[in-house]
Amino acid sequence: MFRFFSTVWENFKEYIILVILLIISLITMSLNQKPAARKVRSLAFGSFAAFTSVISDVVNIGGLKSDNASLRKLNAELMLQVNELRKYGIENAELKGLLGLKDTTNLPLIAGTVVSKSLSRSQGTYTLNIGKKNGVEPGMPVINDHGLVGIVNSTSNNFSIVRTLKNLDLKLTVQDERSRVEGIMKWNGADLVMIDIPKTYDIEPGDRIETSQLSSIVDIPIPVGSVIGLSKVETGIFNEVKINPFVDFIKTEHVFVVAIVESKIEDGEQLNFYKRKISKINK
Amino acid sequence: MRSQYIWSIVLFFPLLIVQTTIVPLIAIHGVVPDLIMVLLVYYSMSCGQIYGTVLGFIYGLLFDLITGSLLGSTMLSKTLAGFIAGYFSNENKRENYFKSYIFMLIVFLCSVVDLVVSSFFSSIDLNTSLVRLLFEQGILPGIYTAVLGIFVIMFYPKRSIS
Repeated sequence: MFRFFSTVWENFKEYIILVILLIISLITMSLNQKPAARKVRSLAFGSFAAFTSVISDVVNIGGLKSDNASLRKLNAELMLQVNELRKYGIENAELKGLLGLKDTTNLPLIAGTVVSKSLSRSQGTYTLNIGKKNGVEPGMPVINDHGLVGIVNSTSNNFSIVRTLKNLDLKLTVQDERSRVEGIMKWNGADLVMIDIPKTYDIEPGDRIETSQLSSIVDIPIPVGSVIGLSKVETGIFNEVKINPFVDFIKTEHVFVVAIVESKIEDGEQLNFYKRKISKINK
Repeated sequence: MRSQYIWSIVLFFPLLIVQTTIVPLIAIHGVVPDLIMVLLVYYSMSCGQIYGTVLGFIYGLLFDLITGSLLGSTMLSKTLAGFIAGYFSNENKRENYFKSYIFMLIVFLCSVVDLVVSSFFSSIDLNTSLVRLLFEQGILPGIYTAVLGIFVIMFYPKRSIS
């Protein structure tokens, strides 16, 4: 018997090792959501990100000059816009005062820098140089001056990992800014798409898409992208709407974390699963 | 040979730093090369198939942990890639492979397998055209990675000390 196993091992050891390692990988995939796996992961990326942040700082210095020039131009344009908006602001404040409404537009922002990027086609992630110590928690939306970048997925003390919009595991409720049509937006590995949109709904190329108030994760309107076209037009009763994101995921370096994790409770059930996770950790 | 085992692990970390900080800057239409794959193929061919398989597993595990990808997906794909690269670890032909464009072809083959398997296990939407996915997520990054394999051919010593 021993000789038999010995012969099998000698002849097929490469295949036996391969199969064992593949089985371990498959088992590991099923352990992704376990708290122990999350702890190991936050420890691993936290320690590694300390090194990448140094390199990232050096790399970013090169781009500062051009960044400064474009920011100056943007500043001038915004100054003109602010001047215009100030008038509306005063008028708005007066009207709100008359109606007794409170101003709810001030969102807390935490500034951060991208220290590393994993730009795989299916699992786009960023590592940011801000973490629990800065008040970052899983579920917080990440934005830049163009729009929504992604959602914080896990945090260590000083760093956090963000799932970008180009990540298969991130799905969000969004809406057409013009026609208010709502739908689920996801990354399908090649395009950012709104899925299962009835053919009768009013969506046109060029429409701006923003996050919807119905979303259990991001219920404040943040610009996401613009419609570039419809697919699956010939078949079925649903269209798929292709969206061109406003954010350039390759060039993004500086971001802001919106320091809120929305609570959406319906029939006593917390709909925002990030909020459920935080509650579990606090318990 | 033992020093090669150590170097294969030691080199992984600086290369991963470059992969996540500098490589995104040379992306072409979102297509990025995979430096880790070049390293994996090199050591799989140098040290044998079993070592290549195990090294692919270790690289995948570290990559998943550090970058926040779906834990296990890169482990699985890199294990397979290391196994395939190990097929070309024939001692008599190894030198020829490293000094010619054949190395680039091996890197290309392993990259395509790695990317396709990794995409498949990251639950790619099957409604999307499979040919397009294979092209955009397998072949294009595979070609880019293979092109970087030219550095190994250029800097491989004329006569190996070992």
